[in-house]
Amino acid sequence: MNPFELEFMQRAFVATAVIAAVAPLVGSFIVQRGQSLVGDGMGHVAFAGVGLALLIGTDPVVGALAFTALAGVLLVRMGRAGLAGDLAIALIFYGGIAVGYLFSARAGAGQTRLVGLLFGSPLNLTWPEVGVIVALALAVVVVTVVLYPKLVALALDEQAARVAGVATDRLVMALTLMVALVVVAGMSSIGLLLISAMMVVPVAAAAQVASSYRSTLLLASAIGATSAAAGLLASFYGDYAPASAIVLIAIACYLAATGWRSLVRRISSTAVAGG
Amino acid sequence: MVAPRSVAPALELVAVSFAYGRVPVLREVSLSVAEGEFLAVVGGNGSGKTTLMKLSLSLLRPTAGHVRLFGSDLDGFRRWDKVGYVPQRAVTAPTLPVSVDEVVTSGLAARARLFNRRRCEEAERIEHVVELLGLVGHRRSRMAELSGGQQQRALIARALVTAPRLLIMDEPTAGVDADARGVLRGSLEHLVSVEGMAVVYVSHDPEGFAGLAHRVVEIEGGRAHAGDRSAARGPAGADAR
Repeated sequence: MNPFELEFMQRAFVATAVIAAVAPLVGSFIVQRGQSLVGDGMGHVAFAGVGLALLIGTDPVVGALAFTALAGVLLVRMGRAGLAGDLAIALIFYGGIAVGYLFSARAGAGQTRLVGLLFGSPLNLTWPEVGVIVALALAVVVVTVVLYPKLVALALDEQAARVAGVATDRLVMALTLMVALVVVAGMSSIGLLLISAMMVVPVAAAAQVASSYRSTLLLASAIGATSAAAGLLASFYGDYAPASAIVLIAIACYLAATGWRSLVRRISSTAVAGG
Repeated sequence: MVAPRSVAPALELVAVSFAYGRVPVLREVSLSVAEGEFLAVVGGNGSGKTTLMKLSLSLLRPTAGHVRLFGSDLDGFRRWDKVGYVPQRAVTAPTLPVSVDEVVTSGLAARARLFNRRRCEEAERIEHVVELLGLVGHRRSRMAELSGGQQQRALIARALVTAPRLLIMDEPTAGVDADARGVLRGSLEHLVSVEGMAVVYVSHDPEGFAGLAHRVVEIEGGRAHAGDRSAARGPAGADAR
């Protein structure tokens, strides 16, 4: 049986492939800025928004968007004021997941639903939910394309970008909000705790073999989408948890790229030594 | 050909003081640099020379005094394309692969158009600075594959793509080999003598600017005073321009 003839697999494929292709676009900038874990933290905060949304009976996407956007603004302002130390950030992030569970439990949300939000449940998505994911991902792509030269300058050297006339404060805010969008877009399909892996791991894999920033972005995007498709197939045939399979395949891509790079270097050095 | 000089100095610090909290770093420092002039700022570790550079670039705000760029107070200054900044090479050690071309063109980010399309004069300027700094054969190379001197030249090329009138450099020869220093000196000589650019060269190592600088200012104990004259070649205009 062709799994992609099944409608629930089609929905899962569209949702996961789109978000897994878009997440590395944003991830490349946060990796270069040494903030690889910011997406993970945003996932914790988003959970608080989901909890509150469940408690007051509104759409979890709205709650997650509101909380991650608020946290993004707060983190950037704290950073400017010199208050964004490890401890302050940890308090916000851990507070987020604690508040999220507190609200969710009070709202009577079932464990299955909570596990689905934390670790993804792409096979249970509806077409309207897929539409929201695609719309959010599209918004991230548009902002990335428009701001691309400035984001690259920011990622390479924030001070030099600022001296060159780039409005770095606003750009950092935009980047943080893009991370928030990716987290919210990915929460139903890949999960709040795993989506940040798709911002980082495909980028790390692509960086092993790419020759420029642009090619790293494009290759990372392809690795993300391929991992999503392969992970869904593994889940279909092997009955694995889909989001976990997607992330593990992305990690396998990283290991393969690292091995390939080592092999190429070894062959090159042998050729040089051999004259 | 030397560009016409504006009346106002490219950079002017008037009685500038700065403190980190209650720790004073600079005390009433005054200096100015005209277009076509090469000023070397020297000082040991912790002397305040990097703070002075950051104040000049508006990366820090003085606790007292004024900083002016081309006659404008920093608060009202908008022509950042007239200012080029070259950080220490270690600042931009890339985590991800980045090509020389991408580093150089990132200097134009503030006025980039959709899909990073370049105006004709921008493309010509990129060609010019890449050639000036001897990077023609390395444009597609990864920064990480280049030598220290080549990386430094790529960062200078990035600072020069906007055709600035003032170039501020932080320890530009740190970790750079002798050959690369020679290329760098030739490029700086051209920028000052031919293009009439003002250069502020911040370093602890006089060897990098010996024979190039018109004036040397030493920062010591937070105060500025005239530095070792043997490292300077004399006032701007005294040389062959």
